[in-house]
Amino acid sequence: MSPDLLSVEGLRVGFRSADGGIVEAVRGVDFSVAPGEAVGIVGESGSGKSLSMLAVMRLLVAPARVTGGRVLFDGEDLLAADERRMRALRGRDIAMVFQDPQSSLNPALTIGRQITDVVRAHRGVSSAEARRIAAEALERVGIRDAGRRLASYPHEFSGGMRQRALIAMAIACRPRLLIADEPTTALDVTVQAQIVDLIAELRRELGLAVVFISHNLQLVAEIVDRVVVMYGGKVVEDGPVEAIELAPRHPYTSLLKACVPSLSGPVGPLTAIEGAPPRLGRLPIGCPFSPRCPDAIEPCLSEMPPLVTEAGHRSACWRPR
Amino acid sequence: MTGPILSLRGVSKSFPQGGMLDRLLGRDGRLVALDAVSLDVMRGDVVGIVGESGSGKSTLAGLAVGLVRPTTGDVLLDGQPMAELMRDHAGPWRRRVQMVFQDSSSALNPRKSVARCLGETLALRGVPKAQCESEIAELLTLVGLGPEIGPRLPHELSGGQRQRIGLARALAMKPEVLIADEPVSALDVSLQAQVINLLSRLTRELGLTLLFISHDLALVRTLCSRIVVMRKGLIVEQGPCLDVLDRPQHPYTQALIAAVPKGLAGRRTPLPVRAADAAAIPETREDIHGAA
Amino acid sequence: MSGLAKTLCGLDWSGWLGAGIVGLILLAAIFAPLIAPYDPLGLDIEDRLAAPDMKHWLGTDQGGRDVLSRILFGARASLSVGIGAVLIGALIGVSAGVFAAYKGGLGEQIVMRVVDGVASIPLLVWAIAIVGILGVGPLPVGSLLLPNEVKIVVLVGCLFSPVFARVTYAVAKRIAGADYVRARFLQGASHWQIVIGDVLPNCLSPIIVQGTLLVAIGIVIEASISFVGLGVQPPQPSWGTMLSDARSAIYSGEWWLPAFPGLAISLTVIGFNLLGDAVRDLFDPRSDARTLVA
Repeated sequence: MSPDLLSVEGLRVGFRSADGGIVEAVRGVDFSVAPGEAVGIVGESGSGKSLSMLAVMRLLVAPARVTGGRVLFDGEDLLAADERRMRALRGRDIAMVFQDPQSSLNPALTIGRQITDVVRAHRGVSSAEARRIAAEALERVGIRDAGRRLASYPHEFSGGMRQRALIAMAIACRPRLLIADEPTTALDVTVQAQIVDLIAELRRELGLAVVFISHNLQLVAEIVDRVVVMYGGKVVEDGPVEAIELAPRHPYTSLLKACVPSLSGPVGPLTAIEGAPPRLGRLPIGCPFSPRCPDAIEPCLSEMPPLVTEAGHRSACWRPR
Repeated sequence: MTGPILSLRGVSKSFPQGGMLDRLLGRDGRLVALDAVSLDVMRGDVVGIVGESGSGKSTLAGLAVGLVRPTTGDVLLDGQPMAELMRDHAGPWRRRVQMVFQDSSSALNPRKSVARCLGETLALRGVPKAQCESEIAELLTLVGLGPEIGPRLPHELSGGQRQRIGLARALAMKPEVLIADEPVSALDVSLQAQVINLLSRLTRELGLTLLFISHDLALVRTLCSRIVVMRKGLIVEQGPCLDVLDRPQHPYTQALIAAVPKGLAGRRTPLPVRAADAAAIPETREDIHGAA
Repeated sequence: MSGLAKTLCGLDWSGWLGAGIVGLILLAAIFAPLIAPYDPLGLDIEDRLAAPDMKHWLGTDQGGRDVLSRILFGARASLSVGIGAVLIGALIGVSAGVFAAYKGGLGEQIVMRVVDGVASIPLLVWAIAIVGILGVGPLPVGSLLLPNEVKIVVLVGCLFSPVFARVTYAVAKRIAGADYVRARFLQGASHWQIVIGDVLPNCLSPIIVQGTLLVAIGIVIEASISFVGLGVQPPQPSWGTMLSDARSAIYSGEWWLPAFPGLAISLTVIGFNLLGDAVRDLFDPRSDARTLVA
């Protein structure tokens, strides 16, 4: 086994609630990303997927905070690193792209300025050199006439181009890990496909490791090697993309696949998952999915099933399919 | 032979652009949201309107419910022009065409309980106070909720429940035409199917005509009998849903279909080289860092 | 009133402190005739300029009047101007703001430009100038005689109204565009029903916060107007007139004369500010942890 680039061990994130207690939203999450690997983290709102990655980047905002676990990046514990070290790592070794390209760019500064600022902060190059790197990065993400586009302001870009610019900013310092948090959710479908293509291409060409957070399993399956499925703040299944797609073990994963219709096959009522995702602070004692699970049996309600590994495919279910 | 229940006759809608100064200086451009669109919706049809942002599909929804007045052209309900039916603010148009909104959190007044929200709606339809309670219970059952929901406030409900209340509120007016503007796009996938199934059942049981506005072709395919594809204020293609999706004629429809995520079948990257081969990858990374 | 109870329960310690100060001063003003140890107007030549002692806790002034009693009665003038002006300002400003936001178009432009105009007036300077021009006597309005205090309340209220109008406008504009307002419109609800039932109730929190903060400003304005002799007229007590009368005492060493009215003003202003800040924090959606969960 090659050493992992990113390894998250027993990560817990909690909120201080009004009555002074701690409400946990991420409850002991383990997963790892090998160098150059693309991992998809799939889950619905409240599953803790975004919070986990914000915790990895040490970007949690109060009242959320890490309440346990370790995050190893290249063997270094990020949760123990000081803020200076994190600033050096963020943007240079680990880059992040967010959901809303509009609010991730400063509307008052040119695209070029925003990219060169990042480059100069991390690479100590001259401003001319930084501009060259910025232009190269823009070109790399498929923005034509990149040299001239450096002088554009964010409002002169379309939504898709803004997201491309943000990706350019993310890759300008040649990070080893790119974390993309729902990077296509705010975009139109045709643009979404282009951005997904771009991330896949960059990954191949630059040897980037990618963590792609999404609520859309079908979208993630197009570009990742491995899928981590989260529910109720826990990893419920983690395996190679073919296994997750073709033979999911956890009922949640298979229902998640079934409730999204496709463009082929017979038309009929959709398979629905009854009930609603659990609310924070009201998580069931046992398997978080048990109240909605058609297969639930007694131990499901009272005891959290352990994550069992079988041929590189982990799942946490008392009655795996 | 009955005519279409809802029809648009050469409807255009444009919005003024730019600030007041621009307008004073005569520099006003106009943003054309809908460009001479004609569309007939037959009674009982479930029509999916698909397109991306800027396609004019939301403007079309606004026109159909009467929130937006057309710049030119006519909107007809059962053959009668909108202007005639809307002369009175609480006119018949209001009752016959209702809408379900996209964002369930902004669709309900955060300070009104479910029962009050539905009760006020029933009162406007002229339902006597004494009957309200039983009608509210009926509406809640219709959308698959229990009467215990009544006293709750919107923030105490899940997104799916809120969207059901939005649907119940629209149905409380006993409309003939229901416009649903991206009703599930803000919901979690596991809840989307619930709402889509509910919409499908209700249109069948109540004989509703439904305009389902969405960017999700697969959802339109499961729910709708007809499809209208829009782009930049124009209808580029329309027809029976399955025909259009199986044999798209317009390149834009083809592009939309190609953009739908297809899971493994749509792989953009070769499946990973695992275990022993993975050792090769750091080298590539070294190369990159060496170059920096 | 469950809303108010809930609000109080969510206050932090500084909010409680503010609420406590404001509550105490309100009680003192209301029950001033019962708790004041002396007549605030009662002269006592024997006991002039007495330093604070057991008989006169906060001392006496040049006329031998008890400072504590005068401060208690003075609270009535200060608070009634502060609160009265805020109520009048809110009435005018909230109506204007809601109207502009809901109506849109030309009406919106006209109302908001008028608001901009009024807001450009430096509050304190104009208040003093207008009272100065009108004089301190009662102002005849038709067959009605408007006492000076009422005049000041209405004037400060008018000058406060743009603040309320802007706050209300900003929130109401957003709410007028919300889907639940559209839905009411689609049901054929009247504009009146929509404004009263849907728009106004959802604008209230920022208005209440603004109101609390403005009471403090109103109190300072009342004190300032009285200080220059245009507000509450002697011998009636007010914190501003007391400070004004105490000017000479600063040099002659009777420190209690300026100190205690000054302290009363500061304490009240701090109380309202603390309360206002706490209420704002309470209404701030960002203080809600649930919204952060992605």
